[in-house]
Amino acid sequence: MSLTRRIMLRTAGAALGGALAFASTSAFAQGAGTIKVGVLHSLSGTMAISETTLKDVMLMLIEEQNKKGGLLGKKLEPVVVDPASNWPLFAEKARELISKDKVSATFGCWTSVSRKSVLPVFEELNSILFYPVQYEGEESSKNIFYTGAAPNQQAIPAVDYLMASEKVQRWVLAGTDYVYPRTTNKILEAYLKAKGVKQEDIMINYTPFGHSDWQTIVADIKKFGSAGKKTAVVSTINGDANVPFYKELGNAGVKATDIPVVAFSVGEEELAGIDTKPLVGHLAAWNYFQSVDNADNKAFIEKWKTFTKNPKRVTNDPMEAHVIGFNMWVKAVEKAGTTDTEAVLDAMIGVSVPNLTGGYSTMMPNHHITKPVLIGEVQADGQFNTVWQTSGLVVGDEWSDYLEGSKDMISDWRKPLSCGNFNVKTGKCGGAGK
Amino acid sequence: MEARKPLLLSLIDGRGAIFLGILTAAAVLVPLLSLVIPANSAFAIPAYLVALFGKYLCYALLAIALDLVWGYCGILSLGHGAFFALGGYAMGMYLMRQIGTRGVYAHPELPDFMVFLNMKELPITWWGFQSFPYAMLMVLLIPGLLAFIFGFLAFRSRVTGVYLSIITQAMTYALLLAFFRNDMGFGGNNGLTDFKDILGFNVQAKETRVALFVASCIALGAGYLIARAVTESKFGKVVIAIRDAESRTRFLGYRVETYKLAVFVLSAMMAGVAGALYVPQVGIINPGEFAPANSIEAVIWVAVGGRGTLVGAALGAIIVNWGKTFFTGALPEYWLFALGALFVLVTLFLPKGVVGVIEQYKAQRASANKGGTAAAPAAE
Amino acid sequence: MNMPSRPRALPLETKAKSLTETLSVLAAAFFLLMLALIAAPHARAQGGFDVIIGLTTDKFPDTERALNELPGAGLATAPDIVEALVANRLYLNGPARKLYFADEAGKMFDAATGESADVMASALKKVRINNAVRRSLDAARGALTLMSPDPAKRKAAADSVFKSRDATALPLLEAALAKETVSANRKILEEARAAIVAGDSGANEVQRLEAIDILKSRGDQDAVSVLTTIASWSEGRVKAAADSASSVIQAKLALWRNVQNIWYGLSLGSVLLLAAIGLAITFGVMGIINMAHGEMVMLGAYTTFAVQEWARTSHPGLLNYSLFIAIPLAFLVTAAVGILIERVVIRFLYGRPLETLLATFGISLILQQAVRTIFGANNREVSAPSFMAGSFDFGSLQIGYGRMWIIVFALAVFFALQFVLRATSFGLRMRAVTQNRRMASSMGIDTNRIDAMAFGLGSGIAGMAGVALSQIDNVSPNLGQSYIIDSFMVVVFGGVGNLWGTLLGALTLGVANKFLEPIAGAVLGKILLLVFIILFIQKRPRGLFALKGRAVEA
Repeated sequence: MSLTRRIMLRTAGAALGGALAFASTSAFAQGAGTIKVGVLHSLSGTMAISETTLKDVMLMLIEEQNKKGGLLGKKLEPVVVDPASNWPLFAEKARELISKDKVSATFGCWTSVSRKSVLPVFEELNSILFYPVQYEGEESSKNIFYTGAAPNQQAIPAVDYLMASEKVQRWVLAGTDYVYPRTTNKILEAYLKAKGVKQEDIMINYTPFGHSDWQTIVADIKKFGSAGKKTAVVSTINGDANVPFYKELGNAGVKATDIPVVAFSVGEEELAGIDTKPLVGHLAAWNYFQSVDNADNKAFIEKWKTFTKNPKRVTNDPMEAHVIGFNMWVKAVEKAGTTDTEAVLDAMIGVSVPNLTGGYSTMMPNHHITKPVLIGEVQADGQFNTVWQTSGLVVGDEWSDYLEGSKDMISDWRKPLSCGNFNVKTGKCGGAGK
Repeated sequence: MEARKPLLLSLIDGRGAIFLGILTAAAVLVPLLSLVIPANSAFAIPAYLVALFGKYLCYALLAIALDLVWGYCGILSLGHGAFFALGGYAMGMYLMRQIGTRGVYAHPELPDFMVFLNMKELPITWWGFQSFPYAMLMVLLIPGLLAFIFGFLAFRSRVTGVYLSIITQAMTYALLLAFFRNDMGFGGNNGLTDFKDILGFNVQAKETRVALFVASCIALGAGYLIARAVTESKFGKVVIAIRDAESRTRFLGYRVETYKLAVFVLSAMMAGVAGALYVPQVGIINPGEFAPANSIEAVIWVAVGGRGTLVGAALGAIIVNWGKTFFTGALPEYWLFALGALFVLVTLFLPKGVVGVIEQYKAQRASANKGGTAAAPAAE
Repeated sequence: MNMPSRPRALPLETKAKSLTETLSVLAAAFFLLMLALIAAPHARAQGGFDVIIGLTTDKFPDTERALNELPGAGLATAPDIVEALVANRLYLNGPARKLYFADEAGKMFDAATGESADVMASALKKVRINNAVRRSLDAARGALTLMSPDPAKRKAAADSVFKSRDATALPLLEAALAKETVSANRKILEEARAAIVAGDSGANEVQRLEAIDILKSRGDQDAVSVLTTIASWSEGRVKAAADSASSVIQAKLALWRNVQNIWYGLSLGSVLLLAAIGLAITFGVMGIINMAHGEMVMLGAYTTFAVQEWARTSHPGLLNYSLFIAIPLAFLVTAAVGILIERVVIRFLYGRPLETLLATFGISLILQQAVRTIFGANNREVSAPSFMAGSFDFGSLQIGYGRMWIIVFALAVFFALQFVLRATSFGLRMRAVTQNRRMASSMGIDTNRIDAMAFGLGSGIAGMAGVALSQIDNVSPNLGQSYIIDSFMVVVFGGVGNLWGTLLGALTLGVANKFLEPIAGAVLGKILLLVFIILFIQKRPRGLFALKGRAVEA
């Protein structure tokens, strides 16, 4: 039968073709004599707004390190990819960076879901990720270093400040409906109740991503705030939705002196897109503000403006987190004398580098770092004015003390314990262990 | 002549032969090259490529499912990503239940995200998903059921054309918003991730990856054959008639709604299977898969490859996604220009897709040689 | 009571030098006079607290206290200190315990004496502000400007006294009330006095009950706020009266909330209308599934940004009117881009609507990335002109000017478009072409030109929508993406090819959304609405206003 023979012939031909396609894809060239650093930030899609800046910071830091002579006598080579705000693509790109490009460490991710997406990849292929954004905690991976704030380094001090300084008694917890606000609000709710705030004095509201019509919610907040007790809004509203939210607050005449809003996801970058005059006095809690006045920070801002060739570019907290993370990695690699993952993982713990707020940040055994907590008020020029700051550094607490499931858990990646979810009650590694 | 051929062979035309040939070869060679041959050999296939191509195969199956309804029945679904994602969620839920006490909180029953959202017991929607057969049943049933309800309502009221396209988009958008809600109990924006085992095998092991890849090859091949069987049958001729002249077919006495509904449900189930195979290979399922843009992209794969050719749909899915992989790495800042231009150029210059161009070229050559026998039938 | 000696008389000559407006001098003089007459018992700070020193410790609690004491401290420079602090021009020298303020020109004055001082601002620290300080500042400013010659300033002052309910401001308030002639201001002053008196446990019961009545007649959310506070620490008849007054107001406000929902709904509806109306032309009338529609809106928003940037750097005077430049410019820019797209891509695809979807989706990706490359991925700031800021009250409904103008703009665009389609020869030709292209062509209409113009028109309108949306949403490359699906829903819900359907569809969806939101929450409300649209299309497969006749099947 000629048809069958033809099929078989074609099969054979196709098989060869297929194999060639595979082989050619896998045989991508690998650079020699450089240390590769992966940069895994979305350059397109919804998260490009926030993440593009972080890519630029990484390029600047790497360029600078190379000017200083590189690392271990080799030049650093950035490998930039675009995961396009698409979470499965994050996993794919992470795999590509580690397996194909053989990067020594990766700096990347913004949203929790992107981190969750790449976490199994970094663990499986045993590579290192530096994650620079404040997040909900409840995680500690052997392969991830969390240089952003945990909830106790941001949310709780902010609430303390409002209680002490503004005498706030009534709380609106407003957030975008995803894991970071959900968890943060759970923690805050438990914390507020522990401080004696009654259930009826807490209002929790969730909105979808990119919510743009805030009229109803702002009216509700105004109504909630007119019960005769000092009211504040704790906002975990995500990036995109903030601009219309603040615009609506301004339109509705909600002033910071009446109902202050303290935000955990609004930094200088976000404010750069808003006319901040009506927002003066609203607050944000971070571990770094561009307005922090010291020589290191001034130099950094100067370099950043030169690098981006834009005198108006602002700096923000996640950028500082990358600066800290990168410097820590450089120091750890120098200490270990190699970029080998296991050696660097060991060397990382205890590494201490200057942060940009005038102190030192140290990598703790739980892969979180020590940071000061700053509360700032929005100024008319889009900057923050620090009105309060912790007297010392705060250690990131990966497992919250205020959540039922995790209050007995700690993480310690030093040998021989090497455990991300050690239960102090049962003395065993491996979670709640019921 | 056709009647004398064995049933299976009658479904395989020239294109199909090449397609199935490549699939078979991949299913045989990939395990060989990635598991048997030492890793440092020039022919060895690294694990990440296996996972990557496994993913493309899932997309290809989704594209074939979409081509079945669009290319042959004229229903432009801008919501097929929803069926894909639902299949994926069903698989994801099975995988989550397999984690057991290895989650960070080591809760025997609840997945991690439920523990930290303070859920006390397993929501009813999650019952039974620890069983693989049940989960697989759901992979078919949930997308199938949604397609049935949606299609039943829409086709009965004779919603057609752009109206149908837009409400399929509304459907997937509504599901996107719904799955974003943490109160739904499906993990909200983070979705389901950090899987450990599938059927007792570690999902991250190279062997499991290869097995999943082979399973994807088989599913794609089977999906192709089913689609061929449908389109080549008498039933399929009616379906094509509906695409070309719906009213006339109705006046001839066919129950147009029933035909459409049957194809739509079948296609949704195929998309569900694609989603189910996709999830263990990429390691995450989250509401982003419901995004209307994803469904539109799937339509574009079909268009790029060649609508109404099945093989073309699969080819389109692989070409576009490989391009995406390549350009997001090689030209991270400019890849959207390349992708956008690709879409524009394909619609302008290759209205019949890549396969259409090849057919045309072959037809020209054939007519030059023999003086013109007909080109392939389905290349509309 | 041991305030260091300070010139008690007004150093008029010095003042005149320091202030640009003679009016303010008179106001300040007048203020001091009133102070001497009425506020004599409060003329000096109590408990040995020195206002000037309080302001120089660079500690928020001290600053706050100093500001609370300031109106009663009898300091001639008090208004200058307050204005300087508001404008961030107040400087301190901590070790020397000296306070200075700068005038608008940057000239420095000693805040204690009002005499010009020979210091450099750069050598000094600015007095810092936080919210608590800002509140005290508002109160002090309110108390100090109650006598301002400007009625608007007096109103603002009365409002801030109402908010602060600072009992020490009562004498000033009474004095202001005696002089006030503008009745609206009188009302606020009376309410402010009522708010103080009602909460003053030292006042007699009859007065307090009267005050509560005044607050009740004010009848808004702020009154509720004052009344609940009063009820929480009072007892007996006062508490009962405050409770009942606040519940009466609450009941009234609950009714008004429905009106508010309608207003919010119309406002949301107008945004949807703006976003969808261009699509009603390109998709509804021309049959192009235009996925790049959202990007046209985005281009319009970026045009606004560019115009404002230009105004900011080269013509600051035009900044406030930049929207009037941006609207026509956005129309032209996006119409031009639209015509370009039509000529280069879409004209080859007529009659193949689904392929227009693919091509325009590709175009939308290109446009997004182009904008990202040119303007950067970050949000861009578009400021609101003064006529769009603020709000006014309609009954118990607060209506923002911004939202109001957007509704007006949306309707204006809608009717202008109707006019173009119905009453111009271009509109006639366009309708002819879309209804029967070949017939129109044989009647001598240049269909190619009409197609390009029509697509340009639809795109241009989308661009104008972008100008309006830049006022309420992010100006970012993703702007268009967030409106594209809603726009399609509106057009399909209203009925493809029918502009009135688009209008009614947008407003219906807007209002329905705003009534669902308080009940179901923002997320669930939106899901319910989408399900409703899906079901509605089953019932009426061609939308609210279906085209009738043969055109339907084409």
